[in-house]
Amino acid sequence: MATTTASLTITSADLVGDALSLSSTKELHKAGTTVGLDQTTGMARVYLTATTQLDIFPVLPAAPAGQNLQSWVYICNKSLDETEFITVSIAATDIGLLYAGDFMWFPWSQIAQKADIEITPSSGAAAAGIHVDYTCMHQGITYPTSGD
Amino acid sequence: MATTTASITLSSTDLLSDELALSTTSTLTNAGTATGVTQASGLSRKTTSAAAAAAIQANVLYRAGDYLANGANKVYIKNTSTTVAEFYTVVIDQEVVGRLYAGDWMFMPWIATSGTKALFTVTIAATWAIGDTWTFDGITMTAETATLASIAAQLDALNYPNWTTTYASGVTIIFTARYASDATEVVYATADGELVTAGNGTANISGAAAGTASESDITIRPSVHTDMTYETMLIHE
Repeated sequence: MATTTASLTITSADLVGDALSLSSTKELHKAGTTVGLDQTTGMARVYLTATTQLDIFPVLPAAPAGQNLQSWVYICNKSLDETEFITVSIAATDIGLLYAGDFMWFPWSQIAQKADIEITPSSGAAAAGIHVDYTCMHQGITYPTSGD
Repeated sequence: MATTTASITLSSTDLLSDELALSTTSTLTNAGTATGVTQASGLSRKTTSAAAAAAIQANVLYRAGDYLANGANKVYIKNTSTTVAEFYTVVIDQEVVGRLYAGDWMFMPWIATSGTKALFTVTIAATWAIGDTWTFDGITMTAETATLASIAAQLDALNYPNWTTTYASGVTIIFTARYASDATEVVYATADGELVTAGNGTANISGAAAGTASESDITIRPSVHTDMTYETMLIHE
């Protein structure tokens, strides 16, 4: 069993009337247990030059073994141009826009035949070319087979 | 302009044969600019519970219609439970994002794509009398005057639980649903208001349009009906 820790700190001296200093740290466990996650896709970096929507984690089959197993996804827009963004979607639903330097960290449930995670560069980002980092730490991903 | 930073660290010495030590810091800015975000919901905490498992309801954290669509909004959610098997299921629109088990947190951008809000226009016309009433959305307006424009202004001054009103002058008031939701996917008609008049007053509804459901409200659903607690904060444009 591996020990993997995710920590977040959000700070601001002037966003609200009181100084903001939020910290959260959590070991990554398998669903409903205290057993550490032991699998990862590794950190990937892609360089995108088109506005084509890209599945970074796949459309899942009808009965994925990984459904509702615990998975964590990290995505980071590595652009330095503040106008360049990527749209992050799950299945057909747009979740949010990651601008230059923005990151996200969220659990992923791998719901059957849905829940593929997609990124789409903005037109400006695609024209200039954009780097995106992503990884998934998990207790099992079900990949579609050639028959799916 | 405020300066707000978010930092994430992912670390492990034994997940891989090579040490994992990822650290990223982002300064939170408005979409497409270097201007820092200036608005936040504040960190909130809520305990959820229900009478029984069958009575568990999803909690709406943020309604897309209340925030700037396509903004550089960021959402933080944490399950503060200490019972390892308990989780919240995080959903955007109808799409399950994932489960937050005890102590888990997430931080993600939020597009806040809203639907459209239902609306209609009410026109006060013909002959009204003092004491005439018009009831809509559970609120009754009692005419304090027989002057049509004054009655319209009276309608506008009331607070409706599910609607806002716009009134400039004259005898028409525009009603707009507070939220874009499935519940407003109807076209309202004159019969939806109840008029009681001593004269021949009218309060006809025209120009009605149905709403459409929001596309990115954030909801969370607890896994158990016993007490669970979450924390959340929205930093937004």
